[in-house]
Order: sequence, then C-alpha cells, then structure tokens
Amino acid sequence: MSASTVTKKSAATAGPATAPHSLVAEFASADALVRACEQVRNAGYTRWDAHSPYPVHGIDRAIGIRATRLPVLIFLCGATGTTIGILLQWWTNAVNAGVEFPWVPTFLQGYNFIISGKPYWSFPANIPVIFELTILLSAFGAFFGMLALNGLPQHYNPLLRVDRFRRVTDDRFFISIAMDDPKYGSATRRLLEGAGAAAVEVADDVKESAPPRWFLRAHVILACFLLIPLAVIAYMRVDKQTQPRIHIVQDMDNQERYTAGKQMANPVFADGRSARPKVAGTLAREDFTQDPHYFQGRIGDQWAVGIPMYHPELQKLAGGAAEVNEQLMRRGRDRYAIFCSHCHGLDGAGVGRVATYTTEREIGFVPPKSYVDPDVLVRPVGHLFNTITNGIRTMAPHGDQIPVADRWAIVAYVKALQRAQTATLEDVPTDERSRMTQPK
Amino acid sequence: MASHGHTIDIFSEPRRFDRAGPGALIAALIGVAALAAGFVMKPGGADLRQFMNSYLLAYLFVLSISLGCLFFVLIQHVVAAGWSVVVRRLAEQIAGAMPLLALLVIPIVVFRTELYPWLNPTDEMKHLVEHKRPYLNDTFFIIRIAAYFAVWTLLSRGFLSASLRQDASGDAAITTRLRTLAAPSLILYGVTVSFAAVDFMKALSPMWFSTIFGVYWFAGCVLSGVGFLALVAMWVQGRGQLTRAITKEHYHDLGKLMFAFVVFWTYIAFSQYMLIWYANIPEETRWYLVRQSGDWWKVSLVLLLGHFCIPFVLFISRHPKRSKATLFVFAVWVLLMHWLDLFYLTRPPEAPEPLLAGSAGGIPLHLLDALCIIGVGGLFWAWVASALARHSLVPERDPWLKESLAFENY
Ligand code: HEC
Repeated sequence: MSASTVTKKSAATAGPATAPHSLVAEFASADALVRACEQVRNAGYTRWDAHSPYPVHGIDRAIGIRATRLPVLIFLCGATGTTIGILLQWWTNAVNAGVEFPWVPTFLQGYNFIISGKPYWSFPANIPVIFELTILLSAFGAFFGMLALNGLPQHYNPLLRVDRFRRVTDDRFFISIAMDDPKYGSATRRLLEGAGAAAVEVADDVKESAPPRWFLRAHVILACFLLIPLAVIAYMRVDKQTQPRIHIVQDMDNQERYTAGKQMANPVFADGRSARPKVAGTLAREDFTQDPHYFQGRIGDQWAVGIPMYHPELQKLAGGAAEVNEQLMRRGRDRYAIFCSHCHGLDGAGVGRVATYTTEREIGFVPPKSYVDPDVLVRPVGHLFNTITNGIRTMAPHGDQIPVADRWAIVAYVKALQRAQTATLEDVPTDERSRMTQPK
Repeated sequence: MASHGHTIDIFSEPRRFDRAGPGALIAALIGVAALAAGFVMKPGGADLRQFMNSYLLAYLFVLSISLGCLFFVLIQHVVAAGWSVVVRRLAEQIAGAMPLLALLVIPIVVFRTELYPWLNPTDEMKHLVEHKRPYLNDTFFIIRIAAYFAVWTLLSRGFLSASLRQDASGDAAITTRLRTLAAPSLILYGVTVSFAAVDFMKALSPMWFSTIFGVYWFAGCVLSGVGFLALVAMWVQGRGQLTRAITKEHYHDLGKLMFAFVVFWTYIAFSQYMLIWYANIPEETRWYLVRQSGDWWKVSLVLLLGHFCIPFVLFISRHPKRSKATLFVFAVWVLLMHWLDLFYLTRPPEAPEPLLAGSAGGIPLHLLDALCIIGVGGLFWAWVASALARHSLVPERDPWLKESLAFENY
C-alpha cells in the first residue's frame, strides 16, 4: 500500500496519530452489496466483512460464512449441565460420604437427607435440577458463545471513524476489507470500485498509545471502593458483638412454643403436660427389634457393658472389623465434634461454645458435667448410649439426629476421652515412660 | 430480493387438483364399511363397550389431528408468521373437517354410559363423584360437548372461509382482521381443548385428579396435527402440486415444531407425573399405579422411550428435519406415538386392584381398534381430500405469500 493512496481525513487537526486500517466501500442497495460481496469472496479475501442496516437475505452465502459452530458449543455446555446436575445431587444426597468415602473432609461431604420419604437417590425428584442446569448452561453457552464467536463486546471499531460509515445504521451498505488481509494490494480499491461501490475510503485507526492518566487513577480508586465490602466482611468475622445479629429472615424462628425443658403447662391436654408421655398401648419402633443391646444399650434389665461390635452396621463403620478400631474411633470423634462438642467441649470437660456463650451472657444454661466426673466415669457404655438416644435430665435426646451405629461410635469415643484424661504414668508403655519423666 | 434465485411466481406453480381423485370416495366407502362391520358384527366376541372403547380411541386420534391443525392456523395468524403461508391452506382444510367430527362425536354422546363410569358410579366412587356432580352431570356434559364443537367449527370454518375469500379478492385487510381475531380465538381454543380433554378422557377415571391434564392433551394435539400436516404436504407434492413452493425450508420448520412439541409433551407429562409421585396421595397415584402394573408398565416404558428419548436424540440435529425422507419417518413416528399415548390415556382399567392381583390379562388391544381407526380415519381422509380438491392448495393472494416462498432458515 503506497502512502499516496491514503486519503487522510482530518489531517489538519492535531488529533492522535493514526495509521490506515482498512478500506471501506459504500453501496446504495442491498442487492449491490450482495453482488459485490460475491466478487470479494471470489477474489479470495479472508479478513473482510459486510455491514448493513438490517439482515440481508443470502448475505451469509455471498460472504462465504461457514456454518456456525455454536450448536456444538451449546450441546457441550448442555451436556456439562446434565452431568453436573446428576453428580451434584448424587454426591450431596445419595452418597453417605462419611461412611463410603471417609477420606473426604467433612465440609465436602453431603447430607443424606430423607425427603418426603423417598429414597436418597430417586430420579424423578432429581430431574428438575438436572433439567434446569442443562438449560442454564446451554443458555450460557449460547449467549456467551455468541458474544465470543462474534468478538463482542467491542467498545471501539476504527470503521466508526469514517463519517460516511455512520449511515450504515440508516440507509447505506458497506464492505470493509482489512489492510492486513494477505490478498490486500493496489487491486483492492479497483475491485471494489468495479463491483459498483458508490465511494471507497480508507478508515484510519488510532495508533496504540498509553491510556490517559485519569483513566488509570479512576480505576485504582474504583478498585479501592470494591475492597470495602470485603473489609466489612472481614471485620464482622473477628468483631465481638454484644447485640444479637439482625435477624432479617425470621422463618418462624422466634415464636411461642412449649419447651420440654421449661416444663410448661399446656392447656390443650387434659393433664396439662406439654411433654407428652408415650401413648398407652403403643410401642416405639425400636421396641420391636430383637436386639435391645444394639438399639437400646440394654441386656436384660442391665445396661450393656460392651459395644455391640457383632452388629453389621457397626462393623461397616469399623471398615469391616469386628472390634473397636481406629477407624471406628475416628468416626466417633467426627460425629462427636458435630453433635456434642458445642456443649461438652472437644475434650468433654463440659466447656463447649454453648457453655461459654451462655455463661458469659448469664443465660440460664447449666453446663454439663465433665465426662471425668466420678458420676459419669462409672456409667456403663449402655448408659452412655441411652443418654445420647433419650437425653438425660436437661440434656435433650439426640436419637432422632444420629443413626444408631454412629451413636455407638460416639460412645466409644467418649470412653476414649475418659480413659485419656484419667490415665496415669503406668498407662504409658514402659519404653516411652522415660521420655515423659525426663526434664526438658 | 433479486439475490436469491429460488423465488418463484406462485401463479406459474401447479397448485390445484383438477378433480377429486377416486381416493376420497374409496376412503369414504371403506370407512363406512369398517365402522358398520365393527358395530354390527362385533368381531372377537366383543360387546358394545369394547366397540365404544375402540371408537373413542380412533375418534380422539383424528380429533387431535384436526385440533392440532386448528392451533397451527391460529398461532400463525397471531404471530403474523410469514414462513408458513405455503402450508397454511393445508392446515386450514384439515382443521376444516370439524363439521364431520361434530357428526362423528354423536355415537360417543349416545353411548356415553358404556364409556364413562361417573354416569353409573360404583359404590367406591359414589361419594367422590357426588362431590363432582355440579360438573359431572348428564345435562351439563351434553351442553359442553355441543359447545366445544360449536366453538371449534366456528373457528376452523371461519378462518378457512376468510382465507378462501382472500383467494378471490386479494384483500389484505382480511389478513389484518384474522390476526386480530386469532388472539381471542386462541383463548377460546385453549379453554375448550382443556375442558374437552377432561370430558373425553379424564372423566374415564372420575376418581382421579390432575390439573395439567388439558395441557397434556393439547401437546399431543399439536404434535400429531403438525406431523399430519407434514405428511399431507408430502402427499400433495407427490401428486405434482406445489412442487417448488414447499421447500425443505418449510419442512425444516414443521420438523422444528414437531421436535418442540415432542419436548413440550414430555415436559408436561413429567410435570404431571412428578407432582403426583412426590405428593404420593392415593387418589392421585392410583391412575399411575394402574399404568405401572400388570403389562401396562411396558406401554408406559415404550411411551417414555418412543415419545421422548428416541425422537429427541434422532431429531435434535437440523439435518434429519431438512430431509424429506427422514422427516417422513419422524412424522409417521409421532403419529404412532400419539395413538399409543391416547391408548395409554383411555384404555387401562379404572382400578389398579385386578392388575396388582395379576388377574387382568395382557394389553387389551382388539381387532375393533383397527377397524375403528380405518373407519373414522377413512371418513376423515375422504373429507380432507375432497376439500383439498375443491380449492387452491395455497392462499394464493395472501400478502405474506411472497415472504413464505422466499423463506430460508439460517
Ligand atoms: C445442647 C447441649 C448438649 C449437647 C449437644 C449434648 N449434651 Fe450431653 N449433656 C448436656 C447437659 C446440659 C448435661 C448435664 C445434664 C444434667 O446434669 O442435667 C449433659 C450430660 C451428658 C452426660 C452425663 C450424663 C450423666 O450420666 O450424668 C453425658 C455422658 C453426655 N451428656 C453425653 C453427650 C453426648 C455423647 C453428646 C453428643 C451426642 C451430648 N452429650 C450432646 C448438654 C448437651
């Protein structure tokens, strides 16, 4: 491209430095545009485009645009959505990860909720989520894929620097050929003029230059503002509040109710008790079982003194072993941390989060006894099991929340806590003892 | 636009049968003969109830097609569609068979006690049916059926005759007026089709509840209507008419509509199933329990695979919709599946107990099912074929026709 063919538009005004970018040809009608496109296409140009105020029938073929790859992209996105939908629900609800994949950290494990009495994995219930995710990701694929394949969003196009090009949104049709097209040469202008162009002009592009100072400053300031929410969150996480947090979504959290602990009178029942005794003549489901040791911690009318490791459910927790082993203990520790530690403390001393919280605020909560309290130390395992299942005095029952086998795992762990805290030097293996008595 | 070479002048295109071929008459004769033979001879030791069951199935199949095409006509008008003009007359004529269908509904009304248990409720039903009496009573039933056919006849004949008037006058104002009328017509259509679904099919199980049932049938109507429309278009082209006017672009769009309604049907069918399955209330689940017990679960499974999975996978791509041969397979297939769907809706016993006890026998397909579909189908085809022969096969002076002829998918 020789410099002489470059018609500088506003050469006189001292604007930013520019360089020729592409050749723009104007056409008066859509028909002329389509015919010209066919010629440009046949001449073998590749880096060019046609511009029109409205979609022109047949223009795709005239330009030689290949069929879009968008459908393939959408299909892949949709299939990804399907897969995520299936895996998500399978992992969060159908898998008892704690047992089946014990190496997965607790916060990544699912829930195993029974919903509406359906099996954990019940396909009809899963379909809506799978469907929605498929649609969502397909729509993302279609929308963002379309943008990406079209090179959008494009905030600036050098063609818009050509004055006559503005009529492209009105009543004129254009072809633009980029000067870095391998075919570009002196013949290009002739080709366009020969194809019926009403005018041919060079579009200049601004040479790259550093963005203005204010632009950078504005961005730095904006970025600082964006840090404010993060800072607030971080502050809130470490700050101690004396007032309860604002409770926006009430969800029936605070309402009048009868609590067993307060032993309130309830006028609905003739005997005035709010805590209902078992209905006469009925049996709890567990009363039916043939295995009072496993389900109730009892043998005859005595508390059981051994952990029922013969039971297959419990053996499953122990990785198939028929005795208390490390795996079972780990399971117990894990469940204990979830269900008990907030009251009893991780060490069982009775100073968990709930206890400290209530004591600090002088809310009437009687902290639990330490597990090494002489009263508790002598409890047989069956009694501990019963305490978890049915609660004891002011401690509420936990049987509804914790499966039977897990309760036994907790019992084993509580026993281990007691043992560890009442240990003497004699309990340490002889060859290790010297290390404990030696001064540092 | 000059740039596409395929725009044709409709007036140089064969678009009219010279005379009704003998096909229409033969179809009519076969139809009458089949129905008469079935009704009089009752083959295979059938009784009147069996005949009516088969008749209802065949009748609903044909009615669905006609109603589907009526919807097609209305929706094209309401959205001012350009592409569909070349096939719209065919749809108008298929929907225009409504007077015949109004005639053919008479046996169902006359022998309604053979079909609908709520007219003679069993002891088990009595209590519930008593509560549904304000709706499910004899007089109101007959009034409703009459009202449906009044509305459908008015709509289908009205849109057809307006379109024919435009053939003569070329008055573009007719198009504008029909567009305005199409919107309220669609509302009437939606209401009548929903209630008709309840009266014809859901009332076969008066103990059952489902609020989405009308939409379910509607989905099947449009699916079979468009499928049939595509087949008629192929038939017309096979007889040398409109050979250049209807292109693969139009077939492609008919295929898209079919595909969309395959998915829509599934969406509705699943919505109905899932809510009932989830809530698990006996009076709702019994309907599905019946269709899951005995041999009926096989029909349910074939429906799931054939009405959704297979066509979904095979016809999701554009290519099979753009080839006449594969689209033909698609159209025949959806018609078969729609028939099976109606069979599944109407034929199973009301109560699940005999199925659960294993004393119900297999799938009650009957020779009469074939005779009735030949009978009702023959009469229907005789009407459609002779109506097509009487007029131009395309709304030849519709202002959108040019756009339709030049239509292309991108
Ligand atoms: C909401 C707080 C809370 C939680 C959670 C809790 N406990 Fe308790 N627990 C108590 C309180 C309070 C007491 C003391 C009850 C009393 O003395 O009235 C107690 C007492 C006990 C005792 C002593 C019973 C005795 O024999 O005197 C044991 C053992 C025990 N809990 C075990 C557990 C185990 C195991 C868990 C986890 C499954 C658990 N607790 C969860 C509050 C809790």
